[in-house]
Amino acid sequence: MSAGSSEMKDLMASSKWLDAHYDPVANLYTFTSCVALADLHGDGENKLVVGDLGTGLCNMKLKVYRGTGLLSENTLLDLPTGLVSFLMEQHEPRTPAVAVASGPFIYVYKNLRPYFKFTLPPLEVNPLEQDLWSQAKEDMIDPMSLKEMLESIRDKADIPLSARSLRFLMLDLQEMVTFVNLHKEQPIRRQTVITCINTLKKNMADEDAVSCLVIGTESKDVYVLDPEAFTILSKMTLPSVPTLMDVTGQFDVEFRITVACRDGNIYILRRDSPKPKYCIELSSHPVGLVRIGKNVVVGCAQETLHGYTQKGKKLWTTYLPAPVTTMGLMDLPCRGFQAVLVALSNCEVHLYRDKNLLSIIKTPDVVTSICFGRYGREDGTLIMTTKGGGLIVKILKRTAVFDERDTAPGPPLAQSIRLNVPKKTKLYVDQTMRERENAVAMHRAFQMDLSRLRLAAARAYVKALESSLTPMSASLSEPLKMNAVVQGLGPSFKLTLNIQNTAASRPVMNLAICFLYDEKLYSMRTAFFKIPLLVPGLNYPIDTFVECLSDKGISDIIKVFVLREGKSAPLLTAHINMPVSEGLALN
Amino acid sequence: MGLFDKLAGWLGLKKKEVNVLCLGLDNSGKTTIINQLKPSNAQTQDIVPTIGFSIEKFKTSSLCFTVFDMSGQGRYRNLWEHYFKEGQAIIFVIDSSDKLRMVVAKEELDTLLNHPDVKHRRIPILFFANKMDLKDALSSVKVSQLLCLENIKDKPWHICASDAVKGEGLQEGVDWLQEQIAQSDQNDENVRQ
Repeated sequence: MSAGSSEMKDLMASSKWLDAHYDPVANLYTFTSCVALADLHGDGENKLVVGDLGTGLCNMKLKVYRGTGLLSENTLLDLPTGLVSFLMEQHEPRTPAVAVASGPFIYVYKNLRPYFKFTLPPLEVNPLEQDLWSQAKEDMIDPMSLKEMLESIRDKADIPLSARSLRFLMLDLQEMVTFVNLHKEQPIRRQTVITCINTLKKNMADEDAVSCLVIGTESKDVYVLDPEAFTILSKMTLPSVPTLMDVTGQFDVEFRITVACRDGNIYILRRDSPKPKYCIELSSHPVGLVRIGKNVVVGCAQETLHGYTQKGKKLWTTYLPAPVTTMGLMDLPCRGFQAVLVALSNCEVHLYRDKNLLSIIKTPDVVTSICFGRYGREDGTLIMTTKGGGLIVKILKRTAVFDERDTAPGPPLAQSIRLNVPKKTKLYVDQTMRERENAVAMHRAFQMDLSRLRLAAARAYVKALESSLTPMSASLSEPLKMNAVVQGLGPSFKLTLNIQNTAASRPVMNLAICFLYDEKLYSMRTAFFKIPLLVPGLNYPIDTFVECLSDKGISDIIKVFVLREGKSAPLLTAHINMPVSEGLALN
Repeated sequence: MGLFDKLAGWLGLKKKEVNVLCLGLDNSGKTTIINQLKPSNAQTQDIVPTIGFSIEKFKTSSLCFTVFDMSGQGRYRNLWEHYFKEGQAIIFVIDSSDKLRMVVAKEELDTLLNHPDVKHRRIPILFFANKMDLKDALSSVKVSQLLCLENIKDKPWHICASDAVKGEGLQEGVDWLQEQIAQSDQNDENVRQ
């Protein structure tokens, strides 16, 4: 635990970022899709362009920041869903335009002045619906039957109803007539809205090349627009509504559009195919999508971060400590460094390279938008806006170095080293085969032998008990225990017998001890003697002396019997293995 | 120093040479300041971003300055430390209108002051709070606060508000620098005696 916390401290303390600016009340409410950095005036200083969502109903603005201050504000008519800056044409001066997507429109600003408004092409209208409204126009149909007919179209038809018909179906009876009279003169239209916007280089890969706009719509389509004429160059259809989009390549050469959709899948579109080429099925809904080189990094709603190849093969998964709020790419081309910034709802921003956590930035509030790039004249600038409308600007230190290794605590490196397991020998394989074939017979033979062994052991035990050959008394009337210790090097040995009465309360009386030995080898002063009354629980050491008679270095067993007076069978028997006499007898 | 050189020095015939480092972030106006200090016949009209560094010379009443005009771009800033040893004085230029990058200037200044070649030497540092003509420029007091100049205790330092394009405030700074160098020379003489 201590090692883990010190590592965490290491991630935080050696701060790699300079706090350039923090305004907690910047009144900036936006998301990553509505933030861009661009050199709007062609003076070499990048400005921050933000589509401010305001409160969601009012105060929607296009804001431009220079340094720490607000440079300009333009009021937006509707909620912005995406904002990009792009170069429209080759003309000098090469100042980029800003495209703001909101509703079915793209508003293009040049020099921060409205320049062009693009409208999505209207969708096909159901002919039956068209018929009904033209009847209504000529007052050939009453509102009640119009309602019934529209409801039947809504339930059955392939082409959905227009917004006007849907609105009509929501109305009360008395409002219907006025609604029909108000709207019947205009032709009906069906309009979709833009969900995401991005840019795609037209035919050159340069930093300052002309770019097309790529837009995803609620009608599950992806359009590529010409940068000058705003005509539709290409249209592709997806199985679901796109929400997040990443684009790479050039329109005239080869491109790849990675789209995260509302059905929880990621689709990869390529040039010359109107349908998705690859599909990545995620386990939960995507929250952030960043392409890093040829890989796609997806942050999911289940607090996970996944890496995929551009063909949809899963590379890795990392588990995050909190839900993801937004994600951004950190690209430092001058240092050849690329990583993914992941903002979490616990007021932290984590920096990941592949699945390795490189650094953690603590923020005073939950970050809702992230943008990394050149701001002003500084290349490594990180711009974040918070849930409470704050603006944070951090600058990467010139001397900051990110460790290659994974700083997150995890399994040790040694775990992934392969062990040098030797190959299976022929003998091993043959044995395995034999065991597999004769498993039943082998098991039976083993069980039979085991039973026999147990039987033999039990018989021997019974025999020992019957003849009192053990140093433990089996009889209930005289429960005794004995052990013997031999001391000395020889030829004189001291023999100590420890006798204990293990009965609970009854003393034992009238016992005698008898030694049986080879009289050519050993001599004892008393080979038979009585022992006193044995109090239960106490240990009685009884010493005798044995003299070894032989000097030939041989030894023998001395048997000890504990006897009861008047009985020939011993109560206990002990065999003492005498040691070899190492000393010489004093003659 | 030979006897003749000493004599020439006393008589003011030969001026003492001083190596000065001119440091600061990119676009702060280092080259413009040096250009203004040069004699009017040697000045250039258009200033372009310096690549690497350039060596310029100019003279004042008593000294002959050799200025190492270092590039302030991020990728060249690691060159600075190689010239710290030679520098007998430092001119540090700050863009007073760039509030955002004041932290970067502070970071670079701290790195400079903590460098072993600078840390234990008593070399004079002259700060130019440049671009005073711009309307959102910070005052020189504010700049010195943001850079925490009051923490520099062991070196003589001075901050001047300047407008390098018009040449305002530059002479005041150079006069101060000249005085400091003269003083430190005197101290050296005293130590030797």
